[in-house]
Amino acid sequence: MDAEIERARPDNDIEQQLLIEAIFQKYHYDFRHYAAATMKRRLTAAMVALGSPTLSQLQDRIIHEPDAFGTVLDYLTVPVSEMFRDPGFFRSLREKVVPVLRTYPSLKFWVAGCSTGEEVYSLAILLREEGLLQRTLIYATDINPQTLKKAEAGMYAVDRIAGFTENHHKSGARTSLSDYYTAAYGRAVFDKSLREHVVFCDHSLATDSVFAEVQVISCRNVLIYFNRELQDRAIGLFRESLCHRGFLGIGAKESLRFCAHAQAFTELAREDRLYQKRDPA
Amino acid sequence: MAELARPAEEYSGGPRAGAPLPPVPLLGFVIATAAVIFIAVLTYRTLQTRSAASARVARTIQVMDELQAVLSFAKDTETGQRGFLLTGEESYLEPYTNARVALRPEIARVRDLLVDDPVEQQRLDALEEVINAKLAELESTIVRRRSGDVAGALGLVRTGRGKIYMERIRALVGQMETTERTALSTRERDWQNAEQLSSNVTFGGSAMLLLLITAAAYMASRDYRARRIQAWLRLGQMAFTRSIQGEHRLEALGESVLAFLGHYLGASVGAAYMAEGSGQFRRFAGYALDNADQEVIRPGEGLLGQAAKEHRPLHVKSVPPGYLPVVSATGRADARELLIAPAVANGSVHALLELGFFRQIQPEDEELLARTSEALAVAVRSSRDRTRLTELLEETQQQGEELQMQQEELRVNNEELEVQSRTLKDSQAQLESQQVELEQSNSQLQQQTQILEYQKDELESAQAILAQRAADLERANQYKSEFLANMSHELRTPLNSSLILAKILSENRAGNLSPEQVRYAQTISSAGNDLLTIINDILDLSKIEAGKVELAVETVALSRVLDTLTKTFQPVAQQRGLGFSVSLAPGTPERLQTDAQRLGQILKNLISNALKFTEQGEVSVQVSPGASHSVQFAVRDTGIGISEHQQNIIFDAFRQADGSTHRRYGGTGLGLTISKDLARLLGGEIQVASIPGTGSVFTLTLPQSLSDAAAAPAATISGAVASAGQTPRRLPAEIAGAPSAAAVPRQPTALSGWGTPAPASIEDDSLQLKADSPLIVVVEDDATFATILRDMTRELGFQCVVAHTAADGLAAVATYRPKAVLLDMHLPDSSGLSVLDQLKRNPHLRHIPVHVVSVADHSQEALALGAVGYALKPVKREELVDGLRKLEAKFSAGLRRVLVVEDDERQSDSIRELLQIGDVQITASRNAADALQRLREMTFDCIVLDLNLPDVSGYELLQRMAEQDEVAFPPVIVYTGRSLTRDEEQALRRFSRSIIIKDARSPERLLDEVTLFLHQVESKLPLDRQRMLQTARNREAALEDRRILVVEDDVRNIFALSSLLEPKGAVVQIARNGREALEALTASSARGAEPIDLVLMDIMMPEMDGLTAMREIRKRPEWKKLPIIALTAKAMRDDQERCLAAGASDYIAKPLDVEKLLSLVRVWMPK
Repeated sequence: MDAEIERARPDNDIEQQLLIEAIFQKYHYDFRHYAAATMKRRLTAAMVALGSPTLSQLQDRIIHEPDAFGTVLDYLTVPVSEMFRDPGFFRSLREKVVPVLRTYPSLKFWVAGCSTGEEVYSLAILLREEGLLQRTLIYATDINPQTLKKAEAGMYAVDRIAGFTENHHKSGARTSLSDYYTAAYGRAVFDKSLREHVVFCDHSLATDSVFAEVQVISCRNVLIYFNRELQDRAIGLFRESLCHRGFLGIGAKESLRFCAHAQAFTELAREDRLYQKRDPA
Repeated sequence: MAELARPAEEYSGGPRAGAPLPPVPLLGFVIATAAVIFIAVLTYRTLQTRSAASARVARTIQVMDELQAVLSFAKDTETGQRGFLLTGEESYLEPYTNARVALRPEIARVRDLLVDDPVEQQRLDALEEVINAKLAELESTIVRRRSGDVAGALGLVRTGRGKIYMERIRALVGQMETTERTALSTRERDWQNAEQLSSNVTFGGSAMLLLLITAAAYMASRDYRARRIQAWLRLGQMAFTRSIQGEHRLEALGESVLAFLGHYLGASVGAAYMAEGSGQFRRFAGYALDNADQEVIRPGEGLLGQAAKEHRPLHVKSVPPGYLPVVSATGRADARELLIAPAVANGSVHALLELGFFRQIQPEDEELLARTSEALAVAVRSSRDRTRLTELLEETQQQGEELQMQQEELRVNNEELEVQSRTLKDSQAQLESQQVELEQSNSQLQQQTQILEYQKDELESAQAILAQRAADLERANQYKSEFLANMSHELRTPLNSSLILAKILSENRAGNLSPEQVRYAQTISSAGNDLLTIINDILDLSKIEAGKVELAVETVALSRVLDTLTKTFQPVAQQRGLGFSVSLAPGTPERLQTDAQRLGQILKNLISNALKFTEQGEVSVQVSPGASHSVQFAVRDTGIGISEHQQNIIFDAFRQADGSTHRRYGGTGLGLTISKDLARLLGGEIQVASIPGTGSVFTLTLPQSLSDAAAAPAATISGAVASAGQTPRRLPAEIAGAPSAAAVPRQPTALSGWGTPAPASIEDDSLQLKADSPLIVVVEDDATFATILRDMTRELGFQCVVAHTAADGLAAVATYRPKAVLLDMHLPDSSGLSVLDQLKRNPHLRHIPVHVVSVADHSQEALALGAVGYALKPVKREELVDGLRKLEAKFSAGLRRVLVVEDDERQSDSIRELLQIGDVQITASRNAADALQRLREMTFDCIVLDLNLPDVSGYELLQRMAEQDEVAFPPVIVYTGRSLTRDEEQALRRFSRSIIIKDARSPERLLDEVTLFLHQVESKLPLDRQRMLQTARNREAALEDRRILVVEDDVRNIFALSSLLEPKGAVVQIARNGREALEALTASSARGAEPIDLVLMDIMMPEMDGLTAMREIRKRPEWKKLPIIALTAKAMRDDQERCLAAGASDYIAKPLDVEKLLSLVRVWMPK
């Protein structure tokens, strides 16, 4: 059995590599520098879902059926998010970053890999609470147009709201989360006026370049899916995009420590993975 | 579950378990059977009655017949008797015998027939009796006759008894016949009745049977139909179940359900709605449906809502026109009847089905729908449950994925840490082994140290002796100087008188001396003068060495100096047969600011030396302008010359070029020494160039002007034997108090008032300074160490100027304005600390970073005075390099000027306080006019600008600054308490890179931004930006006055694009998003407005993105040809194709390549 797996592995790897290359060639989604382990798992799940016994057959379907690719894309991008996730991060943002942000006449945020938008709405709510939303523009980017659509709708199942509310409260909230949504028919729809300050856009950290100078970047639990090379590229983009002394937030299990740009940032809140861009020394 | 219950119910009444038939048919059968039995019984009874009646009639008739027979027999007997009687013939007796024999059975037959009629029996008995009687009478007659008693017989006959009997028989028979006839009519009536009844029964029974048959047929038909419907329903249900089997997706489920029902029921149109929670229904499938119909049904809304609310199907017979149209490619029609069925499971409605028919709806349609809808409900519910489950599973998987990746990330980080710690361990191990090695070498070293210490002790004691000796020497030297000073004085005094007297004698006023005596006196005078010269020389030298020379700086006309020289030396030269000429090169300044006497002294010295060492030829003096405001006096001779190695020592005191020279030419040999020292004193120098046998050139270089102040430090210049630190404290006071070059023109030398630096003894870069590499001044008296420092600085890419003394050092710093200074503390003329102090007090020089290198530890003081670093000699090379690097880092920042434009004094002060760091010089300005004035006067590195100014607004100030070409435009930081609207901000952004709103954290940010701008020099800008600035510097005809609309919301890019395009002559208009772009274009195409020639369009923008904007633009015919260049951050080919598809003329990927962008703009700009 083990020997079989051992023999099967290289084939699998070849197929995976070819498939990812095919996706890049055909649809221009660049997963070539994603962590191989996650790709393997997600592709296996996609195989099961589409009923393709091998990756090659999956590839065949992906190439000839754009709809099948849409499904696979949903599997390849992992939309796990919640509002005010890791409340400590938002608390730090409130305490350490917002006071500095007040000195800017206008603000730009970039939520890279916004998934279904929970983070975006959390930031928008936080900024509204702090009276800064009016002068803020949030760029919410993701590579999956489906999840972007969901993010734009700003609609979440009512049963998730309780968790959101608790997180929101822990983040040092000044208002009640219920001020920002309307619940109906089992769903909570977030206030449209929050969305007025958000630009939802399709952007790939793997292929695209910087589009604006921003004060704050939040890219949480995205880098974990990248290999080191792509992580460096992404953080390079952030470094370029951030204004002088701009702020960068990453996921709780991520670190800039081993990244090529580690020297360009100082730790602002170690536990909450909040960094500030250093002087261009 | 429900669909399973039904068959169970149906089969529960199985053949073995109960009645053979269902109760109603059973009852029918029972009734039918009963009816048939009843009819049969009735018929039988009727028949019975009839046959009885008929039997009775027949019997009656028989009875009557028999009675007739009896009667006839009776008659026969009588006839027979009569015949016999008459005839006596026996043959006539035959009827009688026959009748007599037959009569009895006949009667018995009648009796038999009338057995059940007692009345008749009696009559029959009576009849029998009579008959018997008759017979007996007959017999008796017969017997008589036979016996031949004819008469008796006749008598008997004549008695009449026979007749009576006969009549009685007849009466009885008549009676009986009448009775029978009566009975017969009764019987006939009875029979008729029975027949009537029988036909009645027959008809009635038939009718009833017919009825029953009809009923049975009806029921059978009904049953059959019911069975067929049941079968149809069951088939439908089964097919339905099949159609929804294995279908998990709701949409497909709905489609197949509708397709099936449409087909099976013959419905023309259908829709399926799914409950969405809270009673709302959403359509999820349609069949021949017009898509325009409503998608969402709210509870109780419309028929569907009603059906959902009531949990029961609705049958609508007259459908309003257009309610549920059936749509096909060729037309549409309205459904005639409508069936709406809620799919209910467990009491809740999971889905709604709506079907439209062209035909009439039958109950079985409803039934099927009702039955299937339940299955549908279950299917929908389970499909949704499954979907939910799948979702949950997927969610769980995704969360698992994330967790796994997080773990992975942690693991990777961990691995990195492990690698690091391994590396650390490795290096630790390495360190440990190194340590062991070190320990070993340490112990070796210790031994050596001990030896060295021993040696050092010895050395120290030797040094102490040496120091003692040096002190002794110094003291001796001092004594010598003092002695010389005193001695020369002591010598001069008597000499003076002897000279005067010799002079008087030589004049021979009395005329009493012989010419010989006069010549003696002249010789005495001459020798005395020589002696005096020598004594003066010695005195001068000692004075100079003792630092006691006072300079009298005045304006000296060069022509006069030269006249004097000519007058003095022309005769001497003539006398010696030599040529002597003095020339003044054109361009030489007419006047010098110097000590005339000392200048004369030096020149005389040099000229007399030249004359002295020249046998033939000539001596010439040429005055020419030297480098950097200096004047050169070149004394050229054609004498013996000086060999190269001697050139070094001729300036040393008490030494001549050659021992022999002395003997040959005489003189103290002090002349050049004194000249050199004096030249230095005057801020100049003497250089010699010579070829032995050909001649020498002594060049005196003096600064054009030697300020008063320069005299003081110069006065302390000393030779090797001079005592340093004799007047160290006097210096700073003098310098600080000196008027700073009030009378002299603005030039580097004059700024500090510290004169020109003397050239160092070692070769440095002072004579070949290049503008492009940074310069460091090394102030170090030790030539060897100075050389080391020089080499090191050069190695690090600096130029180096070396000064040996404090004065030279200050002068060098003032002259060259180096980037940094390396300073020795122990200088011959003054303490390094005082140099540092003076540098730091001078506003023009204070920014220059100073690094101290010294033997003595004055680090505290030095650092307090503002030194950047301190290194103790002996220094290691690394330390020096490090120090130099530190200096480099420091000077690359340099002195920066910040202009603070702020009307509020306290605010201004606090900003000044905040920014007063390092080498920042802050100028405050209260209003715009003043600020402009200051900008004209000076260059600033950065401006901090408040928007609220008393005269004009900050914005206007910025505009004016931009308009005025002579005013430099440094980076502007807007520091304002106002919050800005987007338009205001955008307007400001054109001039200012940084806008800070005053808030709790704003001081911090201000400091940050100011520091950033101050330290950001052009060379540090990214290459691209730099090139952008460079390319941007030329205007271009193609773009001159062309209007470019930049649609971009990022400040950085707006700034870059404006600063690229505006200098080329283009007019840049900004729009922040697609909507604003459209507005701008609309405004520009209005009559009289300037049209926009080209659009640069960003893609990612708020409100309306670039793609949408381009599509909108292309919709307007007048903008069809407007060139639009899309700026996109997306790199993939299809992204760019998307741009073109949206209407872009061309695209360029970010980050922008300046040249490419410019050429694109050139290409697309309409001609």
